[in-house]
Amino acid sequence: MIDPFVYLWLLLKASLLSTGGSGNVPILYQDLIPRGWATERQFVEALAIGQISPGPSGLWVISFGYLTDGLRGTLLAVIAITLPPLLVLGLHALYRRVGKHPAVEGFVRGLSLAVIGIFLVVLARLLRSSGLDGRTLLLASLGLLLGLAPRVPVIAVLGLAGVLGVLLF
Amino acid sequence: MAPSSLLLFRVWLLLGLQSFGGGTATLFLIRQAVVEKHRWVPEPEFTRDWAICQIAPGINLLGLTILIGFRLARIRGIVVSLVGLLLPSVVITVVMTALYAEVKELDLVQAALRGIVPATVGLGLLLAIRMARPLLQESRLISHRSLLLSAMLLLASAASVTFTNLPVVAVLWAAGTISAVANWWWRRLPSPESPPA
Repeated sequence: MIDPFVYLWLLLKASLLSTGGSGNVPILYQDLIPRGWATERQFVEALAIGQISPGPSGLWVISFGYLTDGLRGTLLAVIAITLPPLLVLGLHALYRRVGKHPAVEGFVRGLSLAVIGIFLVVLARLLRSSGLDGRTLLLASLGLLLGLAPRVPVIAVLGLAGVLGVLLF
Repeated sequence: MAPSSLLLFRVWLLLGLQSFGGGTATLFLIRQAVVEKHRWVPEPEFTRDWAICQIAPGINLLGLTILIGFRLARIRGIVVSLVGLLLPSVVITVVMTALYAEVKELDLVQAALRGIVPATVGLGLLLAIRMARPLLQESRLISHRSLLLSAMLLLASAASVTFTNLPVVAVLWAAGTISAVANWWWRRLPSPESPPA
């Protein structure tokens, strides 16, 4: 059973400790999968819906909240994504003084690099969970290549992948 | 002169409704509305606000919405702007998820998903590359040692969550701290490798 208070705290923590819309993926993944509160599949589904729906792609958490915990989860997710960005006000005031400090610059860079490194591991696990074979690798490369094309919208890439999925599997 | 709540709400509501296609589209639209159309924020300020949002916690675009709202009408501006931007996008996201949850057990949908999951991984990989590139470039401009350290931090974080049970948060802080100390140290001494500032 999902404890709503713990769940809210975990969602908030992941959002507080990461920057950008999908920086919270690795933290949530590590916190929720072992508890059995979310499945790998739910992560992928929510991330895909977040890409297709309007607004920042970080709203994937809203979809994730709904899939894992219904409307209550949606509400918790709304709270968890709205509060942490408010800290930007403090940062804005602070930035004038220390923004160019090499230690600050270095910290932000190291943190961001680690987020990317861990994100890569999550991606590898997702790929493995969907049954690693030639078809899967082909579809992953297709996603990467079509993503590179400047004028192909994400929704078209995912739509095509869906059609290919029906044909291949 | 602070814009009225109604005008502010209408502008952000429209932004929230129009911004299909991910964050880049939303940023583009916000810039067009607040810098060009309504001239609420001068261009250089907008660019600096966006830079600060890059290191703020959570969704960068919400940080930007908060900063712009605050500039225009303090607390009232923040609340009106956030609600305006989030209301349509959250509602549509929930409806889409609910519809999806209804049909997800169908064989057809399952097969489609087996195609969509790997494609999402491919898109995610591209996102990772696009996020890493400016950081590595920034390092390269400082020195070769800095570039090497950055590449190692990226690989070491990936390795540490693969082969150990360290909490992700600990790995993130460790990488940040190592990079902070190194960057500070290297930048206060003129390095033989680094180009003149």
